[in-house]
Amino acid sequence: MDGRFRTVRGGRFGQEKEESYVDYTLIFTILFLLGFGLIMIYSVSSYDANLTFGDSAYFFKRQLYSTIFGLVMMFLVSLLPYHFWEHVAVLGYIVSGILIGLVLTPLGYEANGARRWLRLGMSLQPAEVAKLGMIVFLAFWVCKLGKVINTPRGFWATMIVPLPICLMIWKITDNLSSAIIVFGIAVIMLFVASPDYKRFAIMIAGGVAAAILIVLAIAKSADAEGHGFRGRRILAWLNPEAYADSFGFQPLQSLYAIGSGGIFGKGLGQSMQKLGYLPEAQNDMIFAVICEELGMFGAVAIILLFLVLLWRFVIIANNASDMFGALLVVGVMAHIAIQVILNIAVCTSVIPNTGISLPFISYGGSSVMFLLIEIGIVMSVGRGITLKEI
Amino acid sequence: MSRRNQRNAGEKPLRATERKFTFRMQKKLVVLFVFVLLAFLGLSIRLFMINRENGEVYKRQVLSQQSYDSKTLPYKRGDIIDANGSILATSEKVYNVILDVVALSEKKDYLNPTISALKSCFSIDENEVRSYITSHPNSRYKILVKQVSYEERVAFETLQDDKENGGENIQGIWFEDQYRRTYPNGALACDVIGFTLGDNMGSYGLEEYYDDVLNGMSGREYGYLNDDSNLERTVKPAVDGQTLVTTLDANVQAVAEKYLKEFSDAHLNEAREGLGANNLGAIVMEVDTGNILAMASYPNFDLNNPKDISAYYTEEQIAEMEEAGTLEDTYNALWRNFCISDTFEPGSTMKPFTVAGALDCGAITGGETYDCKGVLEVGGHKIHCHNRYGDGLLTVQQAVEQSCNVALMHIADAMGAKQFTKYQHAFNFGLKTNVDLAGEARTENLVYTADKMVPADLATNSFGQSFNATMIQMAAGFCSLVNGGYYYEPHMVSKILNADGSVAKSISPRVLKRTISSSVSDTIIQYCNGVVTNGTGKTARPAGYAIGGKTGTAQTLPRGNGEYIVSFMGYAPADNPKILVYVVVDRPNIAHQDDAKCATKIVRQIMTEILPYEGIFMTEELSEQEQKELEELSANLTITYQQKLAEMSVSGNDPVVTTEENAGDTANPDAESGATGEEGQVTQKIWETFEKDPNTGNYIDPETGHQIDPDTGDDLDGAETGQPQGESTESPAE
Repeated sequence: MDGRFRTVRGGRFGQEKEESYVDYTLIFTILFLLGFGLIMIYSVSSYDANLTFGDSAYFFKRQLYSTIFGLVMMFLVSLLPYHFWEHVAVLGYIVSGILIGLVLTPLGYEANGARRWLRLGMSLQPAEVAKLGMIVFLAFWVCKLGKVINTPRGFWATMIVPLPICLMIWKITDNLSSAIIVFGIAVIMLFVASPDYKRFAIMIAGGVAAAILIVLAIAKSADAEGHGFRGRRILAWLNPEAYADSFGFQPLQSLYAIGSGGIFGKGLGQSMQKLGYLPEAQNDMIFAVICEELGMFGAVAIILLFLVLLWRFVIIANNASDMFGALLVVGVMAHIAIQVILNIAVCTSVIPNTGISLPFISYGGSSVMFLLIEIGIVMSVGRGITLKEI
Repeated sequence: MSRRNQRNAGEKPLRATERKFTFRMQKKLVVLFVFVLLAFLGLSIRLFMINRENGEVYKRQVLSQQSYDSKTLPYKRGDIIDANGSILATSEKVYNVILDVVALSEKKDYLNPTISALKSCFSIDENEVRSYITSHPNSRYKILVKQVSYEERVAFETLQDDKENGGENIQGIWFEDQYRRTYPNGALACDVIGFTLGDNMGSYGLEEYYDDVLNGMSGREYGYLNDDSNLERTVKPAVDGQTLVTTLDANVQAVAEKYLKEFSDAHLNEAREGLGANNLGAIVMEVDTGNILAMASYPNFDLNNPKDISAYYTEEQIAEMEEAGTLEDTYNALWRNFCISDTFEPGSTMKPFTVAGALDCGAITGGETYDCKGVLEVGGHKIHCHNRYGDGLLTVQQAVEQSCNVALMHIADAMGAKQFTKYQHAFNFGLKTNVDLAGEARTENLVYTADKMVPADLATNSFGQSFNATMIQMAAGFCSLVNGGYYYEPHMVSKILNADGSVAKSISPRVLKRTISSSVSDTIIQYCNGVVTNGTGKTARPAGYAIGGKTGTAQTLPRGNGEYIVSFMGYAPADNPKILVYVVVDRPNIAHQDDAKCATKIVRQIMTEILPYEGIFMTEELSEQEQKELEELSANLTITYQQKLAEMSVSGNDPVVTTEENAGDTANPDAESGATGEEGQVTQKIWETFEKDPNTGNYIDPETGHQIDPDTGDDLDGAETGQPQGESTESPAE
């Protein structure tokens, strides 16, 4: 990034020089997270990769290519004026829906027992596209509504927007966690845009109550046979030891990894849980291995890094030159915050097991690429901030 | 703030959607950030709690999971080989086929090629494997087939390596080393060798007795954490077990087993349903070392498949036994070694022991004579001689030759109970011989002590009734009678070798004690030679050899049931005993069981084959008939024997010729038989005064009309009358 974005523009209104804003903290945080993620992926996956593919760097290499490609995309997107996204917002919404539908066609393929991927020259998760599509469309939608957003009609009209996509993700790709994330992004964007607090409080209270009721109902029936895999995951969450051989295995192994790490961990590369005990160690459960190898110190450092990242988003959003840009940043922030929180919550068994990856760190090509595109958008918004004489 | 105010001033033209991000929204964004911060804080606290409350437990849990990583490396159990190096028992490497469902399920393409390869190589049940794969998707270790051979493994791996035909799709199968015990000779020496159950646990025989020696130490491949918490792998190799070199000679053993089986087959279902005898046992020993060359018994079983009793029982019978719960007893009876585990009243083979004891302690001089009237009253019991007409006037030698009970009772009486039991003890009766085989019977309570022995007990003990002994006790004791009085501990193993072939331990013959003086031993040899030349053991002499020995025909309990254990203890050569052959026939399946010829004939057959093999030359002239017999026999010999015998017969002419020349020096039996012949005329047998049946050559008892054996005076029709016959005694009253 040698351009440094410090271009000097002449003020239109005869103002003094304006400098465009480049958030170095954001860039370095992202680069650090990506680098750290690659190191962790190599550490976690080399054993398994060597056994399975005969190449201990198999996962590392693939992730490295995706990351480099993603960084290039990020750079290009950041150069693109973000208002471009206004024009493709509606199109993006529709394309998300179509891509999800395509999973059902022969283009879709199954991995790890779920049909969630598309083969379009490279493997692609439509849910990742849908997250980006939702952020862009809602930013556009809220701006379009204008002051109507303050009315109940505007509120509910916005609430309805993500539902079709969420239902499709849930039902067609059988991916409840992605549906929840998309819905969560929408709710957070609406929360920021809407002046209301009460409705959200009621909604959250209602959601929590419903979750408790569902969990209680499942726990009471206490018959694992009667439930699908989600019911069993909830049972395993309530009592992991009782299901240690099946659904409780992964959460338990994750807890073992976290608990055995101690304060400073066993040292980078010294995890024992990654040696075939912790399923999906390089993916959803990478945080547990971070805890095992680097201890609570490393884990809290990572959490703080994410916090710094989110704080940069707040700064950029609050200084964005218009609401559309600000809402884009809020959407990206919501996306990353939700995934980080849910991922760590799953690893620590705060919530039942569900497949959510840790942004920038977990293994996954589509995920890191779309995240970097989103970061590109944020940087593009940041470029729109004009710095006057400070 | 100033910046925003400026922007809010709105100099820029607004687009349709362009609105400002209001202060209210900024505030809400910060509220949102605070929520996120709280969530992060909550999760950090959760991390802290997990570490504080369960950290230690989870640390141990992680380590204990790791221990699954260690793997046992099997050791090879030592071989058992015979004196010539032929393998009697060995362990061969085999492989367990392990299925790793997780690896197999990695790609869909793996499933079908793998299953078809498994099917073609190990003929597994396809449906079973498929259903296992579906029901256990996370299984990483399932033993599909146990103990496949190296060839089968190679066949499978060849399929795997065949990349052109999709070999790389055969996945998720690996092999685990194991050893399987095999017995190349099947049933040969089954009771002596014993067998192993799973996990190298020896059962019966050498396998059990030398279990610790044969077993090695399992190795281990394990990972452990060093100071830096690095996982290090270490391999501690297995230590293979040691090899036993036995004194057994597989050839001699095979000969002994052959003739036992031949006897059993010849008399199968003859007088009653069943085998030719309840039990048949044979021991071949070296007189001067205690080395056991062969120890055989029948019925036998295949060591590779010890639970297969289909040769002796029908399926219905087996099912019945299983229902009645007696199947275990049946197995036990089959597997136990008759020669060391079963006790019985030895009968007249005991007589040389009694005479030797009496001579050694000076109770008799050997010059005494005894008048046998067929019965002797001792302690209020009428105890019969085997010959109810009496043997008449007998010297000590004749008493042994004719196996006279009355004379022996007199001799034992002369010794007294104290001396008698002392010598019994000296000959190891009532003690274990400590032969190195599992399952030797305890006989301590089956013999009398001096203070408990009443005259009737002493009388019956003198000719081998009313106390029990094992075959190995009799054989080991008898060796000391004919080798100058040295009691050797009978033993089976001569050397223990390490896995690399070096000698770990050499076991040499061990003299435990002197039983009798060498002059008494010479006398006993002379007496026992007489048994074969002109006494009850004539039929035991193999063609071309001079041997000695003693017959035994023991009644079983209850007395008078017509059931007998007949035996013959023979040794060769007669003048300088080297090899001892002891054969016991437990209740032969014939009409009149009290026929010592059952045993003498087997001894004759065994000796005919093994004496040339053992390098003992013929000393006697062969009659035409014997010559013919030998020629016929040589056709049935095993290859090794034919060679040996051919060597012998080349030089075989010499000994016969020289014998003729040296008859005066070596052929003592001739001289003896002449001498006893004279004495024999003095004491003419009572039955010899009877009329002779021209058809059978037997004498006829004028009172009963029964046929009398011309050699022994046995009443051949006696058993039908239900009277106790032969060496009958009344059961000694307690």
